[in-house]
Amino acid sequence: MLQITDLHAAIDNKPILLGLNLTVNAGEVHAIMGPNASGKSTLSHVLAGKDGYEVTQGSIVYKGQNLLELPTEERARQGIFLAMQYPVELPGVNNMVFLRESLNAIRRARGESDIDAVAFLRLVKEKARLVHLDEKLLKRSVNTGFSGGEKKRNEILQMALLEPALAILDETDSGLDIDALRVVAEGVNALRSPQRAMIVVTHYQRLLDYIEPDYVHVLANGKIIRSGTKQLARELEEKGYGWITGGAAA
Amino acid sequence: MSVLPQDIEKIINSSYEHGFVTDIDADTVPAGLDEAVIRLISSKKQEPQWMLDYRLKAFAHWQTLTGPVWAHLNIAPIDYQAISYYSAPKSKADGPKSLDEIDPQLLETYKKLGIPLEEQKALAGIAVDAVFDSVSVATTFRTKLHEAGVIFCSMSEAIREYPELVQQHLGSVVPYKDNFFACLNAAVFTDGTFVYIPEGVRCPMELSTYFRINEAKTGQFERTLIVAEKGSYVSYLEGCTAPMRDENQLHAAVVELIAMEDAQIKYSTVQNWYPGDTHGRGGIYNFVTKRGDCRGDRSRISWTQVETGSAITWKYPSCILRGNDSTGEFYSVAVTRGKQQADTGTKMIHLGRNTKSTIVSKGISAGEGQNTYRGLVRMSPRAENARNHTQCDSLLIGDQCGAHTFPYIEVRNPSADVEHEATTSKISEDQLFYCRQRGLSEEDAVSMIVNGFCKEVFNQLPMEFAVEAQKLLSVTLEGAVG
Amino acid sequence: MNMSETGRQWLHNLITQGQILPDQQLDWLDQNRQAAWQQMQSFELPDRKQEAWRYTSIDRLIKYNFLHTSELSEILPGTEIGEWILPDNSSYRLVFINGHCVPRLCNIQGLPRNVAIGCLRASMSTDGEVIRHYLSNPLFKQSSSTARDLFAALNTAYMDDGLFVHIPKNAALDRPIEVLHLNLAMDNELLILPRHLVVIDEGASATLIERYVSQGNHAYFSNNACDIFVNGNARLSHYRIQDESAQSHHLGRVNILQGADSNYKGVYLALGGSWSRCDIDARFSGKGAHCDIIGLYTVNAKQLTDFHLNVLHNHAHCSSRENFRGIIAGSGRAVFDGRIVVEKHAQKTDAQLTNKNLLLSLDAEVDTKPQLEIYADDVKCSHGTTVGQIDPKQVFYIRSRGIDEAMAKKMLCLGFAGEIFDQLDLPEVRSFVEQRVQNNLFAPQGQDVH
Repeated sequence: MLQITDLHAAIDNKPILLGLNLTVNAGEVHAIMGPNASGKSTLSHVLAGKDGYEVTQGSIVYKGQNLLELPTEERARQGIFLAMQYPVELPGVNNMVFLRESLNAIRRARGESDIDAVAFLRLVKEKARLVHLDEKLLKRSVNTGFSGGEKKRNEILQMALLEPALAILDETDSGLDIDALRVVAEGVNALRSPQRAMIVVTHYQRLLDYIEPDYVHVLANGKIIRSGTKQLARELEEKGYGWITGGAAA
Repeated sequence: MSVLPQDIEKIINSSYEHGFVTDIDADTVPAGLDEAVIRLISSKKQEPQWMLDYRLKAFAHWQTLTGPVWAHLNIAPIDYQAISYYSAPKSKADGPKSLDEIDPQLLETYKKLGIPLEEQKALAGIAVDAVFDSVSVATTFRTKLHEAGVIFCSMSEAIREYPELVQQHLGSVVPYKDNFFACLNAAVFTDGTFVYIPEGVRCPMELSTYFRINEAKTGQFERTLIVAEKGSYVSYLEGCTAPMRDENQLHAAVVELIAMEDAQIKYSTVQNWYPGDTHGRGGIYNFVTKRGDCRGDRSRISWTQVETGSAITWKYPSCILRGNDSTGEFYSVAVTRGKQQADTGTKMIHLGRNTKSTIVSKGISAGEGQNTYRGLVRMSPRAENARNHTQCDSLLIGDQCGAHTFPYIEVRNPSADVEHEATTSKISEDQLFYCRQRGLSEEDAVSMIVNGFCKEVFNQLPMEFAVEAQKLLSVTLEGAVG
Repeated sequence: MNMSETGRQWLHNLITQGQILPDQQLDWLDQNRQAAWQQMQSFELPDRKQEAWRYTSIDRLIKYNFLHTSELSEILPGTEIGEWILPDNSSYRLVFINGHCVPRLCNIQGLPRNVAIGCLRASMSTDGEVIRHYLSNPLFKQSSSTARDLFAALNTAYMDDGLFVHIPKNAALDRPIEVLHLNLAMDNELLILPRHLVVIDEGASATLIERYVSQGNHAYFSNNACDIFVNGNARLSHYRIQDESAQSHHLGRVNILQGADSNYKGVYLALGGSWSRCDIDARFSGKGAHCDIIGLYTVNAKQLTDFHLNVLHNHAHCSSRENFRGIIAGSGRAVFDGRIVVEKHAQKTDAQLTNKNLLLSLDAEVDTKPQLEIYADDVKCSHGTTVGQIDPKQVFYIRSRGIDEAMAKKMLCLGFAGEIFDQLDLPEVRSFVEQRVQNNLFAPQGQDVH
């Protein structure tokens, strides 16, 4: 589904990713771990097509096409979903309206017709239950005045609604208490399927107790320096990143 | 994300939808202004002597005045002698009695504007008065309104048919000495709308006037007067358009509202006069004086405006809160793009006890537009327990525009409570990225965020107008991405 | 004679009364004075039709025939300043009486080498070049002092003496500079025209405490101006306490120019005076600077206090906070006019303007005008204003705990002002100011506030 080859990316001429390779197939869950400032968020943003990042070398092929040529919204319509570390507030923009516009944009890209109002309402309510999101929040402005946990659950709700082919969870665990973390993880697990791939970006092993990855990669200094199974995550937790990044430097 | 140059170009080039000219045989007086012109206007309209006297008095005073210079506007000097002060579509001498008598081309014009005048096709429950250049051409649903005792007619007709009502109220809220443009209007006003709601009557439908300037080199000086007697209610809407012309055209209207005890007037405007071209050529100078007098206790006046047109807008719909427990409201969305300039806001003059006012102003600046909010909140010594809340937000799109806030707050009573908040921001890159990551196009994202920004104001508009206003905003800001 | 004729006559007297002192050694100074004097002739008298004077009438000034004297005739031997100054050796102290430095009351012992603190007149011979350089700064010319209006030009035309501070590059001054401006109003209607210059060079830092106080019961008019340069990466904490007699008239102007990455913190207190106005003008000459201007005004009896604040963001990445609070009692009148301008190229500006007012009596009055003028798009700007009274619920709550109403109100007022008091880092200054605020607001009716 996704092949990243020798990816180099920079912000403001400052190189962040320095030759990253990663292949993700349908049905797989990949965890990407790494210390702060290792390039984790850069990878998420480059995949989603955020402006300001310059890919200086390498390629990303998604479903057989060159992903880097597509604008952000086109990538979203082709099934790439990024659950953001800091979901953005949209004051005055009603959450329901936003969700419906987004869903319809993606449905149209898939060649489906717009969803009718009744079916949409039913669908949103069902998905909201999945992530234990208070229905009242659906009527408010997008993320505006939401708590940290509510914002993250709203992200997973959107993911459930949009049914992406490739979901990227960027530090979805950051700032969550243990209950919220469990709810979010349950939501994510419910969406695992043989057709869907996921990339879970996190600093901590804790999230991986809830979302079990098929593969774990360690990102440091702009490269994946070690890949393994979830056993690798446990070792990292015990020994710290120094254990592995020190090895990389040597 | 930086502003995409092609988008800026697109917004600047997005055309004015209502810029057609209607080719109609018009009765237009030559340009220029002197006593003779005023006498001519008055006689063409078969006005009583007192009306002519009033006009002449105003004209004499106007000659002693100079135009205001305090606004945050860059106005080219106006040659008042180059304007024609009267233009009417040539039609049967006494004006149309029914829609059948109206020039079919005129009806076509209004159809293009999306305002069908044929009663059966008219928006359900909205009575329309249409003013074309200087005269009112049609008023719909008259019979139904008549049954309720509501008077809804053109100002010329009111002067002839209801002289005592007009004489009693005209100029009682905006005296002819009030300001330069109001004074000019008092001298030369040609038509407009008169509404009278008798005691205890709730007007059975929305009343609406559409204004259109058609003739070249004419000015439009309409005068609107709404009187709501004790315990009555009326909701009034006005819409404005004009054709594209190279020269600036002057629109100097006066609107007076009077609300007696327990009466309520809701006045909504969607103003979309021609804004001029990309080089700032042409466009309407919209210099309007609007004022409401909450004369009776517990009366309520609310102004809602969506201002997207005009080269220059200079207007401050105001409330004089004279009655105890009276309420004044001002909700405004003003958009400037291209080289448009707007200096708009409100005045809330609190005179009575327990008076309340709310001001919500949303300014959107794009292109090279300059958008100024100017407001006055005055709490007089008698205004015990008066309250005001003002929220004033500006949204900037692109780095060539400007947003300015000039509130004046004068408090002479310790029990008064005044709160003013203002913010200025732009649509952030993160917001756009977030929306696009969810599959929305950049334009849809901007339009969604802008509509969210304006929501508090749109909520105040009657349903049909709210939809129109939203559409208008999307068209106006098409491609404006920052 | 109507007011405008009176005004014209007054203006004429003001312009023609004095002789401008030629200075043999300093041509540039003479030229500045002469130019200002010429400009003065062309200015109109401020009136309420001018936006800058909309709420502040100068009728009270016109009642007096203020006379300027260039020499200090006589200092009463018994002049006592103890009540207004910090304990000895906790500061470098300068004392000006009627605008002139009085060396026997100053104390600048232990001043580090290269640091200059003194009076402008004497410093002309030692630091003439520095003074010339800064007083001729072209960046300042358009906005500041001379060009703006009659009173600014008047100050420059008679520019002679005042405070001079020069902290050299990278020096961190160990003690605050304390400046006492004492106005002795013994007999005639004095016009006092001090001119101050403060220069903090690159990387240097200092604290400056200025107090304007008065003795005597005659009317006088202090028309002072202060130019402050906080150069690149320099820091200045500036406390300006204006606390004068019920016969005083005070027009102050402070012009601040900040270099890149510099920090200016100004705390402005207006606690007493019959008619007082302070115009503060801040602008930048480089990126990344921060400006904090905080103020408190208390107005009682028939006082009028006016603050005009003008912050010009003309460089990118600068931030400013303006926070003024006012308590208005008696038939006092307060005017606040705050303006933030963000120029086209000043992207990433972050500016906030706040003004809160508490009205304590029926005759009190406040006019406030917080303005934003923004020509750049990537900015974060806001302003907020409130005018209100003491919350009766809070008074009730305090009274229900056995405290009388007057005390309850006093507590709430001091609480309202607390946010500003908290900015006064020196405990002696803070307790002095708290005391003065209480006296001004809660002195028994009819008693002179000073």
